[in-house]
Amino acid sequence: MAIYQDNRGYIDRLGWLRVLFAAMFLLLMGRLWYLSIIRFEYFSKLAEENHVRTIPLVAPRGLILDREGRVLAENRYGFDLAFFREEDPDAAATLRFLDQGLGWDPEALQERLQAAAGQSLYRPVILKENLSLDEIAYLLAHRTERPELDIFKRPRRDYRYGGLAAHSIGYVGEISREELLLEAYEDKRPGDLIGKYGIEKTYNRHLTGADGQQRVLVDSRGKTLEGLDLAPPPEGRPLTLTIDLDLQAAAEEALGEDSGAVVAFDPNSGEILTLASKPSFDPNRFAGRLSLDEWNQLLDNPDDPLQNKALQSTFSPGSIYKIVVALAGLEKGVVDEKTSVYCNGSIILYGHPFRCWNSGGHGRVTLVEALQHSCNIYFYLLGQKLGIDQLAEFSSRVGLGQPTRVDLAGEAAGLVPTAAWKKKTTGHPWYAGETISVAIGQGPVNVTPIQLARAIGVVATGKMPQLHLSMRESAGRPSQTEVLSGLEPQHLKLVREAMWRVVNLQGTGYGARVNGFDVCGKTGTVQTISQSTRSKLSKRKAEGYTPHAWFVGFAPRDNPQLVVAVLVQRGGSGASSAAPIAGRIFRLFREKQLESAPPDPALTQAGPDSRATRAGGGH
Amino acid sequence: MRARRIWSQFDLGLFCAVVLLSGAGLIGLYSSAAADGSTSGLFLRQALWLTLGMLACLVALSVDYHFLVDRAFLLYGLTLITLAVVLVFGTEIHGSRSWIRVAGLGFQPSEFAKLALILALARYLSELGTNYLQRKHLLALAGITLGPVVLVAMQGDLGTALTYFPIMVGTVLVAGLRTRFLIGVLILTLLVAPLAWFTLKDYQKQRILVTFDPDLDPQGVGYQTKQSLIAIGSGGITGKGLGNGLQSQLGFVPEIHSDFIFSLLAEEWGLLGGCLILALYLYALLRLVSVGESARDRAGILIVTGVASLLSFHVAVNLGMTLGIMPAIGIPLPLLSYGGSSTLSFYLALGLVLNVHSRRFVYSDNLIDLGAISRG
Repeated sequence: MAIYQDNRGYIDRLGWLRVLFAAMFLLLMGRLWYLSIIRFEYFSKLAEENHVRTIPLVAPRGLILDREGRVLAENRYGFDLAFFREEDPDAAATLRFLDQGLGWDPEALQERLQAAAGQSLYRPVILKENLSLDEIAYLLAHRTERPELDIFKRPRRDYRYGGLAAHSIGYVGEISREELLLEAYEDKRPGDLIGKYGIEKTYNRHLTGADGQQRVLVDSRGKTLEGLDLAPPPEGRPLTLTIDLDLQAAAEEALGEDSGAVVAFDPNSGEILTLASKPSFDPNRFAGRLSLDEWNQLLDNPDDPLQNKALQSTFSPGSIYKIVVALAGLEKGVVDEKTSVYCNGSIILYGHPFRCWNSGGHGRVTLVEALQHSCNIYFYLLGQKLGIDQLAEFSSRVGLGQPTRVDLAGEAAGLVPTAAWKKKTTGHPWYAGETISVAIGQGPVNVTPIQLARAIGVVATGKMPQLHLSMRESAGRPSQTEVLSGLEPQHLKLVREAMWRVVNLQGTGYGARVNGFDVCGKTGTVQTISQSTRSKLSKRKAEGYTPHAWFVGFAPRDNPQLVVAVLVQRGGSGASSAAPIAGRIFRLFREKQLESAPPDPALTQAGPDSRATRAGGGH
Repeated sequence: MRARRIWSQFDLGLFCAVVLLSGAGLIGLYSSAAADGSTSGLFLRQALWLTLGMLACLVALSVDYHFLVDRAFLLYGLTLITLAVVLVFGTEIHGSRSWIRVAGLGFQPSEFAKLALILALARYLSELGTNYLQRKHLLALAGITLGPVVLVAMQGDLGTALTYFPIMVGTVLVAGLRTRFLIGVLILTLLVAPLAWFTLKDYQKQRILVTFDPDLDPQGVGYQTKQSLIAIGSGGITGKGLGNGLQSQLGFVPEIHSDFIFSLLAEEWGLLGGCLILALYLYALLRLVSVGESARDRAGILIVTGVASLLSFHVAVNLGMTLGIMPAIGIPLPLLSYGGSSTLSFYLALGLVLNVHSRRFVYSDNLIDLGAISRG
């Protein structure tokens, strides 16, 4: 193909392109020179007047609902004062203006500015949240004088029922410097609100919407000329809790001024209907900024309102623990239905006297009777036979000493002592005499109310439920795993029989009785000091050491639907203060059940009758 | 041996100018990412495209351009088919159905069609052997050009379709028109242009009018131009410094990564930086003319002419737009703007030019093949 061609014409004409290009670039450079030299002043002024302000748009968090769809946490809009720093980062004049006009403390405002010092100058700093109407009016009136200030409308968390279920729902707050470093919050910036506690924290990602930002073009006087992007940020997803607002309210009302906790759940599904801890706090106070005073008040309160006593505090289980000891005895074959013990009110073991709470003695009692009357002597002897490690083994089988892994942070594990544990922590061996007090739930054994409630769930159904506070489908969690306890059904039945008697036959749990709802339960009274110490104290002083009161129970006896655990700190006896609270919850649950779906009449008639015969036979 | 000779003839100056321009584009992308973390991905992706572009450039350099010219019509045909396929099955982005996704990367075949068109026109003209074009030749050339123009216009990408015309105009002028023809075409253009005005849609008319008076539409097209002018004008002599171009960074200037990248660079680097970029483009274009003049045959001259026309048109239209002396037509600034296909196709074009340059003394076809390169 390589034919020689005369290319001279082509080359000549191509050369003309040089002229064209040179002309083109002369024109472009001239224009560039004109714009950036001749018109420099003009365009610089325009550039200064031109402001795009980036206004962070906070997406409202998803609603939190109770199991019946009632709103527990929603959003309400508040107005915040924002300061744009790009022209004047020290803001001295602005702070003077706010001090003179509104009496705001310049130092507090200065602190906020310093906290934002490292951030981009184009991100406004919020100087004050929740402006009052008067403040808004004043600021609007002076708007043109202070173009660096703007008022933002922002969603704020509103907890409709205040302190109700506050420990479960939790609260939101500004992300801390430490939290900013965590991977979970890598998309967050200083000043963002995140869930700090409770469900708000656990499901923070689910509840958080996608924060956006709006850029607005403003002139040199801060007047908005136009919005550049106007799409509202998408709201967070709603979350339905397993909490039943009615039961929750009843539990908190029943606890009243007392410190304590109530846990109620469905042993079949693990859904928690009530998780109450008293005293409570108002999560709305956290929604903005908490003043140092308010913080200190909460922290200094000896009853520790911020602590979720249902799962963050541990207590001795007291007589409730006898249920576990009884099961251990039955499973290990140390005792059976017929094994009986004679109780005369006290016993000497290892050279020390150990007392029954009934100083007159219970006489000869079988295992079921011993549980029914909470006879200490029976369980001293049973515990002695089993030894500490077998007690520990069965405690673990029902989940004591282990967190329930409920969907709330900060759960305590509790403690089930073993010989090895003591050796490791104190260096001393376990003395057999120590087992005696553990056998009635005193001594080093420590549990959380939610753990103890779950253990009663195991007794009620033979299965270990995974407790949870969020409806699974709503939070997109995997379905629950249920663990069979491996306990002999016959043994569980004996324990349930005893628990039924506690509530229904001259037992300490009479206060929890509900007509037609076969409640089974067990009370407990936990000494906070030893009897001998108590006798040495004055009466007034001894009141500070009033025992903690427990009640745990489930209902109905067959096919249990509800497990309730109540702890009243310094409540006195379980019979007088804890059992009636549980009774209220069982009763309300029953009433709601009857209202929503009247049960099969054949079933309700057959229930009590058959029980009456069986109970009669037992005596 | 021969491979070494090809490399010894490598036009380093041209190559360096192109690489420097690409570097300026990368710095611009990096700077715009500094204010807003969301765009740092663009910087990395563009760096990837540049690497691919340089590889493509080397490939385009290795294959003797005669080999490509011989198969120009085949390439042209395949390109038309690809464009038609994209028209039907492509992905729509920003209103034009011109994208296909390959291995997670988006490609615009309309960018590569420019190269096929350059080769096809060169092939057609190099076989004529005449020194001046006749009417039938012009009609054939127009036909070849209109193929991709029509398909790409149907894809909805008028800006890109427009860039095919300067390739034809450039090659036709170099291939030679008789003076009366030239005058005739000029008169025809002057007559048709006012008529074309009436075929334009309102928003298209608006764009043209706004060039002369940005205040006509301060919120829309005029807004863009005006913000670009403010950015450039407020840069002054030395600029505001890297990452400090508030006009651009704060989002006043639209499409800062693609069409308006020059506004950002001029704002941050000032008149000096802007002139440096202009000088690099001018140098590259003048080098192209020199390469064309030294080419050993018409095919080579025409390839270089096509590339020079394409490049100069892009630069003139884009800079004209950012500097406010041309209507706002959304075409990228070659090598500086973000864009994968555009970057790749310009590097391929550069490869073709270097190819012509390296083989200007070689008087035989198919002197080397790829194997020789890799062994050398």
